[in-house]
Amino acid sequence: MTEEIMRVEGLIKHFFTKQGTVRAVDKVSFSIFKGETLGLVGESGSGKTTVAHTLIGIYEPTGGKAYFKDQSLEKDYSGRSKNLKKEIRIVFQDPGSSLNPRWSIKQILELPLKVHGTPVNRDQMKRITELLNMVELPPEEYLYKYPTTIGGGEKQMVAIARALATDPSFIALDEPTSALDVSIQAKIINLLIRLQKKFDLTYLFITHDLSLMRNMANRVAIMYLGKISEVAPTVDFFQKPLHPYTKMLLSSIPVISDDEEDLKPKKVISRGEIPSPVNIPPGCSFHLRCPEKMAVCSKIDPEMVEIEEGHTVRCHLYADG
Amino acid sequence: MHTKSPLLEIKDLSVSFKVFEGDLKVLNGVNLTINEGEKVGLVGETGCGKTTTIKSVLRVLPSPPARITGGEIFYRGRDILKLKKREIPSIRRGEISAIFQDPLTSLNPVFTIGYQLQEIIKHSLRQQGIEEVSKKELKSRAASLLKETGMPDPERILKSYPIQLSGGMRQRVCISEALRVTVKLLLADEPTTNLDVTIQDQILRRLDELVEKRGTSILFITHSLGVVRHLTHRVYIMYAGNIVETAHTKELFSNPLHPYTRGLLKTVPKLTGEGVSEGIQGRIPNYLNPPEGCRFHPRCGDKMEICINKKPPLFNQGENQMVACFLYGR
Repeated sequence: MTEEIMRVEGLIKHFFTKQGTVRAVDKVSFSIFKGETLGLVGESGSGKTTVAHTLIGIYEPTGGKAYFKDQSLEKDYSGRSKNLKKEIRIVFQDPGSSLNPRWSIKQILELPLKVHGTPVNRDQMKRITELLNMVELPPEEYLYKYPTTIGGGEKQMVAIARALATDPSFIALDEPTSALDVSIQAKIINLLIRLQKKFDLTYLFITHDLSLMRNMANRVAIMYLGKISEVAPTVDFFQKPLHPYTKMLLSSIPVISDDEEDLKPKKVISRGEIPSPVNIPPGCSFHLRCPEKMAVCSKIDPEMVEIEEGHTVRCHLYADG
Repeated sequence: MHTKSPLLEIKDLSVSFKVFEGDLKVLNGVNLTINEGEKVGLVGETGCGKTTTIKSVLRVLPSPPARITGGEIFYRGRDILKLKKREIPSIRRGEISAIFQDPLTSLNPVFTIGYQLQEIIKHSLRQQGIEEVSKKELKSRAASLLKETGMPDPERILKSYPIQLSGGMRQRVCISEALRVTVKLLLADEPTTNLDVTIQDQILRRLDELVEKRGTSILFITHSLGVVRHLTHRVYIMYAGNIVETAHTKELFSNPLHPYTRGLLKTVPKLTGEGVSEGIQGRIPNYLNPPEGCRFHPRCGDKMEICINKKPPLFNQGENQMVACFLYGR
């Protein structure tokens, strides 16, 4: 698990609008290792989806560098090699709008196969059946159905099958279960974990559900207003959170047992809302909501420091190491 | 704390929807009671009939296609379902109010927040017999309502339109509208589902304070078991148009009885991180031809002969728990 599969260095994605520059992703750096699940959490508007979309190639980065197995990701989709596109895939949040309603499931799964290779018709059919079996949808039942006639969970399974069709090594999962009920979520999560083991996949898992993250990710990175505030191995992240924002998020989770209640940081009361990414506050962008604000926080943006091996945090409280 | 007199009593409520293919038999004899000053949770997955239940209470179910096929809803002893059309507003705008999941669609986009709040205050004063109020008075009342929900800078918010506010702020506006003076029962339909956890936490804490202070009863509908555990005294678990279990909140989480409740609790991802259990097989039934007997039997791991043919009534289990399952009685 030590081979670095993706390296992101100071990635920037800005959007230029009439109201001003939206700094959706602002100098984000992280690495993803082969076979792991890196969790990316944050509130809505923190830029987590933009990070995924930039890596996938939906957007071209405004600045910074990103590498996938030493291939640069500086171009958007149209400028990437077919091989690169085959390796990096994505599953979107809402399967209702990411699957074409006029195409049958067979047609949906056929397209990536046509683009990326298996030319012979019979082989294609075999592969589609195989894909549906992988996501545990009986092919004879689902092959000719349309997305509108199946449930949300099943749609998401089709979307996963479509992502798997090109035999990728990296999949970005952009809140794949946030639109689904918990019982269906449980099925999808377990399926994803099984597939990861079977095909040695690497996941970038995006969610705002920290309890889910606890059960899914190997490492967690937390984003606030386009910047990463803390990165830690999952167990450390939940047991020894450092950044005040992490503590605030953890203390706001509604939990269902006393054991979990004990894990939540005490005395951190959530307050304030995430500001607009057009007007990012000066200094540390979190200082307006931070319970441990100091004079320096409103002036200087803190640097990322490593506290323990693999546990980095961007906060003035820890600036001296 | 709450007293024991029932404020709202739903008895054997059945609702079906007429569609092209036939009748969708959604609610199948729902029984639910809310006592005065009590905070009650109603939990269930998408499509189990939670919203249909409160829409029946508010009498806002579109009919057709909806048809109430049986049952009674008593509010302070009066059957809401037997009210004449012109009598309905007196309840809906008077003592019962509701907040919904998407605050953007509950607010009128073309009027300012201030205007909408003042209209509601005016109406509620009129009901108390006060006709003349000065504009200044109205404005300060609206501002103080907003302030109560923890809204920063209420003066500015009053001049804004809904689209200019964030989701959390809009929901705060809806809460201040709903918690006008006369309200005795608040129906909250997933009010924080679309919000981030930090905002959800802030809003729920404030809502809880307000409800406690005024002694308002609340029916809190959600699919989040965590939220219910924090907020309510008592919980109803709903599955496919039936109440399958009800208990005091503490007991439900420490001692869940119904196989569905147990499965549901297992599927919730936990902070302690023991992985996610798959819990319940299959999916919610089609309401055109719902299973006979217990509607949960096709997915149930403890299915028995009797479950296939007979609908289980609610059996008492201890003082505060009831469960609709033949494992606990015949």
